Amino acid sequence: MISATAHDASSQQLDREISSLKAQIAALKAQRSTQTSNIISSRASLSILNRLRAPPPKSMSTVKSLDDSLRDDTPLHTALLSNATRQEARNLECLYRACAAVTTFKGHDPDPKAVDHGNFLGIRIEVGSTGKFIRPYYIMLNKPYPSNALLRIHRHTVPPCIALDTLAHRYLPEPKVSGSTILKEKKQDLPRFVRAIRKEIVAYHNRITSIKHLRKQFKLDENVSSKGKERERVIVDISAADAEALQLRMEWVDGRIGRCLVDGRGAVKKCAIVGDDGRDRETERRVVGGDKRMETIGTRLMEGIY
Amino acid sequence: MPSLSVPTTSALPANHRIPATSPSVFKALQRLARPSLISVVLHWLHDDVQEICPPYLRPESDEEDEQDLYPACSNLKRLRELYRLMQERNGGKREVVDRVLEGDWRHGITLYQLALIDMQYLYDHPTSQKWTALKIIRLSSDDVEDGDRPKEQKSMTLPRLHPATFLQNLRKEAPPDVKAYYNIDRHGRLPLTILRMFIMESPYNTERVFSASSRATLDSSKHFYVAFPDNSPYVYVSLTTSTGAKTPRGSRSIRQTILEGIPKAFSRPRERYGLESTNLSAKNLEALVERRGGLRTNAAGGGWGVYADGNKNDTPLNHSLSADGDNSGESETDVEPRTFGLKRKPDEVRAIVKRRKLLAKGRFGNSGLIDDGKGIEQFDVRIQDPFFSDRAASPVQDEHRSSDQAEKGSKGRRSTIDQALAHEAMDLDEDEDTAWRPEVTVSFHGSHVFAGIRQWVESGAIKAEKMPGWMTGEEGVSIGVVRDGRIKGFKGSRV
Repeated sequence: MISATAHDASSQQLDREISSLKAQIAALKAQRSTQTSNIISSRASLSILNRLRAPPPKSMSTVKSLDDSLRDDTPLHTALLSNATRQEARNLECLYRACAAVTTFKGHDPDPKAVDHGNFLGIRIEVGSTGKFIRPYYIMLNKPYPSNALLRIHRHTVPPCIALDTLAHRYLPEPKVSGSTILKEKKQDLPRFVRAIRKEIVAYHNRITSIKHLRKQFKLDENVSSKGKERERVIVDISAADAEALQLRMEWVDGRIGRCLVDGRGAVKKCAIVGDDGRDRETERRVVGGDKRMETIGTRLMEGIY
Repeated sequence: MPSLSVPTTSALPANHRIPATSPSVFKALQRLARPSLISVVLHWLHDDVQEICPPYLRPESDEEDEQDLYPACSNLKRLRELYRLMQERNGGKREVVDRVLEGDWRHGITLYQLALIDMQYLYDHPTSQKWTALKIIRLSSDDVEDGDRPKEQKSMTLPRLHPATFLQNLRKEAPPDVKAYYNIDRHGRLPLTILRMFIMESPYNTERVFSASSRATLDSSKHFYVAFPDNSPYVYVSLTTSTGAKTPRGSRSIRQTILEGIPKAFSRPRERYGLESTNLSAKNLEALVERRGGLRTNAAGGGWGVYADGNKNDTPLNHSLSADGDNSGESETDVEPRTFGLKRKPDEVRAIVKRRKLLAKGRFGNSGLIDDGKGIEQFDVRIQDPFFSDRAASPVQDEHRSSDQAEKGSKGRRSTIDQALAHEAMDLDEDEDTAWRPEVTVSFHGSHVFAGIRQWVESGAIKAEKMPGWMTGEEGVSIGVVRDGRIKGFKGSRV
């Protein structure tokens, strides 16, 4: 029994060591790849690469130039040059992605039976949240109808709380088909679709972020135990009540419960707060008043409380 | 207990007791493992729930009964201590079950307690129920003239689950000759709210119904689970798992009634909902949450999952070249490849194996791994490609003929699958050419079907380049009709 537990403890310690070493390896690898790309895209190394790429000067004798070209063909140089080209392309892609927010790419579906020989158009929507880029959303479109440029959503990574379905129905309507012939074609508008979907996604993230901000403002995610705080906790909970974060649920220490409706752009529309003795009209007015933004609900509530 | 039973329409209250002698109560307790049983019992002894599951306590004035095998405690605190001691020491399960049934809850187990036992069993055995994913669609409020079914209306918001309102509405939908006890719980690990319904066929809601014919009323086929994944327009409904012969005739219609009641309970004035099949059913809740949940992975299954997973390097600020999730170098575990008796150099074999693994990664991405716990256990397709019109399709069918034949041995469950497939194929049969399309139904069974297919690809039994996309599981369905090499119906991952 004791030996078994001892064995367990030692194996657990080994596991911990192994996992920490693995994490270290991963960190080092990431660091290496960052350094590689930094070095390869630095101005000095670019000029060296350019010299390698450039044809040898004419003043040199033919024998030497032959020698040079031989030297250029060494695997190291070719790898370096191809890496440099890829890095350049990558840098450009990153620049576009960072500045344009919506970028496209072409891809190929590995499914041998995919429509249109597996070609698809990928749309990448970059989203920022609390000052960071988060994982972009992808929408892949293909052309399912031969000899026609109509698009259809093939795959996507947009969560269901964003009404991709509805927007696709509105801006990328499907034609009426019978068998394989198109009976009636409806006009599709890809730019407007992308604009609408990006607006929805960004608005959603803004709402989520402002709820996070409200929680932070009222210190809801911190431990309560620390005594001697000058401000007592007044609000117990602020959270999104629905999937789209269009409704806010608020709960006070004294049992009052509030619901606040915001519209897609984050403007406060309605608010109802109910306590033991009926509606709390004053706080309601406070929530809906001011500049009517959901970001500033916290400030307005604070003014009322303290 | 009132002396008179009057038919009512209200639900069963939580504190109704089922006699502790009832065999189904014993069975329910017996199913749990000892540690989970004790933790459930300790939950029963919480101060918050004393109104709905009080233990049998000896009044302070009474003396301890020497004859009693499990003498009753006089207060809660001692009882809690007793079970905590049991938790610490080793022992049999039977000891706890007997203590509960013959000692501390000898006056009966309440419906709430039974619900907790069943939920605990569900958490301990995640594959004990078979779930079917259904989509909640908003029905258009316009007139329904061009067809018997109302059309779907596209809306910008999802139906919102408010448990109390939902239950209140669902109760109204239940037929008057059926009484149910509803219990809502949060799943521990997954973003799910699970509703358990205990359904009893009786117009009365008094305790007398349990004592009268406890055997008949406590049939396991009348448990019904509905799971609501967070932030998504889907519900998962458990099928009855009882075997065909024993199911009473009425239970199917009760199930139907409840199924119809779910969208109605979601509905509000000027906002009607309906249910729609999504062709996915599985025992694994995790798999369902991934394919029909509230996250990004719904329409990016199989190899497309690389676009949806939590790869943090995929930001425009990361300039390094290996950022695009290309960590194939790290996943090399270098398993010594079997040479299959071939006279090849080990290096060559290793290169082939590595290539196959890379190809499999290309097709499956990070899905279909044996240990990812997201396996579905059954996958049926009906292939309707014209015979010899497309040569590329035929070798695939050949490869699975063996598995198809093997499956034909179990005929019991074929009929429902056939029905579902026929229903799927119906709208496709109407038009189209006269080419001969042989009916080939392929059925995959196993603990993790797509991991199995991935292993076939990795071992070279299937050529990754020629494998059709539906075999990677990227369509996110468990039943489907394949035409022209693709799953038809636009229901899979189509938006």
